[in-house]
Amino acid sequence: MMHRLEVHAGEWLDRSVAVRFSFEGREYQGYSGDTISSALAAVGMPYLARSFKYHRPRGILSFANHDSNTLFQVDGVPNVRGDVTLLREGMRVTALNTFGGLWQDKARVLDRFARLLPVGFYYKAFHSKRWFPHWERMFRALTGLGEVNLHAAREATPKRYGFCDVLVIGGGPSGLSAALAAAQSGAQVALVDESPRLGGSDAPPALVRAVQESGSITLYLATIAAGYYADHWVALASPSRMTKMRARAVVFATGVIEQPAVFRNNDLPGVMLASGAARLLARHSVAPGRRVVIIAANLEAYVTCLELHSRGVPVAAIVELRTTAESHSAVTSCAALGLPILQAHAPYEAIRGPDGAVAGLRVAPLNAAGRVDADSSRHIECDAILMSVGWAAAAQLFLQAGGSTQFSEGLQQFIPTELPQGIFAAGRMNGVYDGESRLADGRRAGSQAAAHAGLGVPSSAMVARSARCPSHRFAIIDHPKAKNFVDFDEDLQVKDLENAAQEGFDSSELLKRYSTVGMGPSQGKHSNMNALRVLARFRGVGVDQLGLTTARPMYHPVPMKLLAGRSFYPERRTPIDAQHAALGAVWMPAGNWRRPEFYAVSGESRAQSIDAEVRAVREGVGIIDVGTLGKIEVYGPGAAELLDRVYTGRFSDLKVGMTRYGLMLDESGVIIDDGVIARLAEQMFYFTTTTGGSATVFRELQRLNALWGLDCALVNVTGHRAAFNFAGPFSREVLQELTDIDLRDEAFPYLAVRSGQVAGAAARLMRVGFVGELGYEIHVAAGRGSDVWQALFAAGAPRALRPFGVEAQRVLRLEKGHLIVGQDTDGLTDPNEANALWAVAMKKPFFVGQRSLRILQARGPRQKLVGIELAAATPLPKECHLVIDQGAIAGRVTSVTYSRALNKSIGLAMLSPELAQVGRDIQIRVDNGAMLAARVVAAPFYDPKGLRQKAGLGA
Amino acid sequence: MSAPALKLCVQRDRLGLKGPRAAEWLAANGIRVPSTANTWTYSAEVLAAAAAPLVARLGTAEFFLEDVVAGSTLKRISLSLDEHPPGVYPVLREDWAFHLGGDRIHEVLAQVCNVNFAALSLDSRPLIMTLMIGVAALVVPQNGPDEQGGAAGRQYRIWCDPTFGPYLGESLGAVVIECGGSYTGVSG
Repeated sequence: MMHRLEVHAGEWLDRSVAVRFSFEGREYQGYSGDTISSALAAVGMPYLARSFKYHRPRGILSFANHDSNTLFQVDGVPNVRGDVTLLREGMRVTALNTFGGLWQDKARVLDRFARLLPVGFYYKAFHSKRWFPHWERMFRALTGLGEVNLHAAREATPKRYGFCDVLVIGGGPSGLSAALAAAQSGAQVALVDESPRLGGSDAPPALVRAVQESGSITLYLATIAAGYYADHWVALASPSRMTKMRARAVVFATGVIEQPAVFRNNDLPGVMLASGAARLLARHSVAPGRRVVIIAANLEAYVTCLELHSRGVPVAAIVELRTTAESHSAVTSCAALGLPILQAHAPYEAIRGPDGAVAGLRVAPLNAAGRVDADSSRHIECDAILMSVGWAAAAQLFLQAGGSTQFSEGLQQFIPTELPQGIFAAGRMNGVYDGESRLADGRRAGSQAAAHAGLGVPSSAMVARSARCPSHRFAIIDHPKAKNFVDFDEDLQVKDLENAAQEGFDSSELLKRYSTVGMGPSQGKHSNMNALRVLARFRGVGVDQLGLTTARPMYHPVPMKLLAGRSFYPERRTPIDAQHAALGAVWMPAGNWRRPEFYAVSGESRAQSIDAEVRAVREGVGIIDVGTLGKIEVYGPGAAELLDRVYTGRFSDLKVGMTRYGLMLDESGVIIDDGVIARLAEQMFYFTTTTGGSATVFRELQRLNALWGLDCALVNVTGHRAAFNFAGPFSREVLQELTDIDLRDEAFPYLAVRSGQVAGAAARLMRVGFVGELGYEIHVAAGRGSDVWQALFAAGAPRALRPFGVEAQRVLRLEKGHLIVGQDTDGLTDPNEANALWAVAMKKPFFVGQRSLRILQARGPRQKLVGIELAAATPLPKECHLVIDQGAIAGRVTSVTYSRALNKSIGLAMLSPELAQVGRDIQIRVDNGAMLAARVVAAPFYDPKGLRQKAGLGA
Repeated sequence: MSAPALKLCVQRDRLGLKGPRAAEWLAANGIRVPSTANTWTYSAEVLAAAAAPLVARLGTAEFFLEDVVAGSTLKRISLSLDEHPPGVYPVLREDWAFHLGGDRIHEVLAQVCNVNFAALSLDSRPLIMTLMIGVAALVVPQNGPDEQGGAAGRQYRIWCDPTFGPYLGESLGAVVIECGGSYTGVSG
């Protein structure tokens, strides 16, 4: 059982400050400086978690924030990482993924049915369509880790950008010496380490001090370099924020991650990595047990034994997988102390005690072929088993950075072979294991990184990789009863991986996806190497022939709040925004704008308000803010030609003072935007685009203009001009009071454009008819927009002027049968299908999409946009409900509304050409499966001759 | 030492110009223009240079000018634009303009923009066109004090599309306030 030891000089605890907390509803006490995991270990908690699939009890494995065994729900926050989260007074900690609590978890019965849950069982389960819903419900109920509190308060976390010459990832000996060397070359250095303290496990104190005292090194501690992006842009995740660090060069001194031995019951609580036990011991004075067995295959095992012994922790045996350990003082010291060393022995099976934790280890000798002689096995009583059998390079980020690795047989480790520009590797990750060599390798890498950043002279030192092998070739022990786990996150045993390979998933990529090895919270840190070894054995090849998978960013889990940051949302507001708010606007998003959907009036429902807004436009006068429309100017001798090329219509013959509807296609002949083009002068046009299209249209026109080299210039004034549509039978009468422009038909006909003053502001007026009434689009400088809006309001008051929102406008335009690009068209709609060929001048020599359009016209339309009306009392379908003909999809509703002016429900629908005949009855399937009857009719529905908008009838 | 401060600067005339003859036209109207793109200057060498309009060269043939408070230069030259000089195209500039100064401004900027402003050398009078918390912004770093007053030291003038102005002001202002500073502007 783990327990707290006496005070130790180097421990990270403040024993004068007790910290109370609860775990699974019971009260406990730790010390300031304890993490959740260390505090639970110190109080002798037999186990801390249940495994993901079989719900087996689990304890501390790595104590490095690398494994899933120590994830907790803390004060309502899921998946808190107990190895690194400091204890707080009053903290309420519970285990994850249990049904009835950690101790009485009802799902623990699953462990007995493990053979019914073979590798890939969920793929196989979902193979049956009939049982799909059943399995889905069951898996949803059983899976998952922490419980998300959907009502949790939003925690905004600031992000920041960081900049440095050299970024060093890893604060161990080689990272420290790299940082110092770079700083001494004149570089500004950022040093990142996931630990809250510098130095790793064994850095010289003087080196740590030198780094801490350097004015050129910025420390990012308790911070994980979690993702690498182009141009040396690295995501640094600290507990409170994300830093996007841009470096000119990066040194990867990321070290190595200890790997577990694989043997039966290697997941029992009390079986842990030796490096984790060493950290617990050194930092938190927690002994891994009262009688410890170490499984050894490298020098580090003996060093750990000596540390345990020095702290009074009994070592029952050293189970040495090799026939002989290397010649080293640590080995001879262990022997001299009388610690039993079992050469050429292997762990065969960990024995479970009554509390669920380890109570012993059955060991067996290895024969000359390296096979276990199970018949000669024997039992060693112990309550902790430490594994020190090998390492894997922490190369995930290095691989993301585009580095490549090769498996070294000598080191039994993937080591860097090709380094991208500005990337350097050092230390154990680079295959350099021994003390002074690691420092030298760090100095070399730091110097070279600084030189890459243009500072100092690069070191030409050559540092040899380790001669000793720190990792066992195959610390994987078969057992007829299995439960020898390779991946602790996903409860994957050796046989699971072998079965997956047997089923044909026999590459590292396929094996990962089918078995899910490496896809849990650990992201393969403890499982990928052993899985590769299992696969290599199965295929009879070397590990070097398999290769590593590359983890995508973030390779280490980071809290979502760090990714969300402050949740900035760049929202655009027109200059009339405050007036809208004062008028009771109910907002809706339109692209990145906020627009009034309608204006709420006390005593009116939403529908009544929208209806009243529509009526105001049809019978009186209304005003809508259309400042969100794209607004672009084009100047110069080539302006008309540019417009001729990018719009389907002809604009070179447009008279000064007139406007014309424009339709824009892409190269494939599909409608992408529309608007109104006004000719203000011979070489000056002003045109609008859709609200959502302004930026992309402007960008595309800029590109085309540069490509074609026309003598003209484009200016995007979308945000710099306010615009209103002032419409209704009395719009002219009201507007005339405020403008010096003669609004009479003979002076300002339909589709004309005029410049003048409105309410004292320079304005452009376009007489357009989108809503089907006499109307004027008024464009003024943004800074004058509010004044003009208010003046129009005041002038319109006697005519009961009413502002109208997007919903009323949709009704008004639909009554006129006007399409909205993107709603009534989709990513395949051409002008023929949208009944917009009238806006296409095919005889022009060229326009974008013309060639494709010719082909499409020859082929004939696949669909047609038509008007529809529904029978009286028929409920409204939704936009996008499908039209069904003879049991098959034959179209969809694109727009639909109830028109009070027409006293019926009307809409637009995109139908197959056979159905798109006036008078044809169609069936629309709605959400509940019911069919609604509708009929194809001619559009426009309202004022088909357009007399109201052209001649101003209605006043 | 002074806290970071963000101020909205509303009362200034602004003008944009585009076109192959824009530089020539400005020079003919007595406006000194920067010789290279992405730099800025004051329109005239005067004792208090900051009392002259700022002229920013956004590209080979594109300019942005901002007058001083109650200045008359831009009003004067704008009149002759009504004559539609060939090759000179006026650009309506209704930008929202901000002034950011005080200590810790680089901590503020590091939270909103990926440009390393602290490392900029001002000798060449650089002009930065960048994205600031998702909004296209024009940034001129200066060494103060200018006519905004305040202490000497690095200061920034920032312009953006007016429809993004409220968002940029509120968002940037919130960061400034979190860094111990203040925001003087409008909300909503």
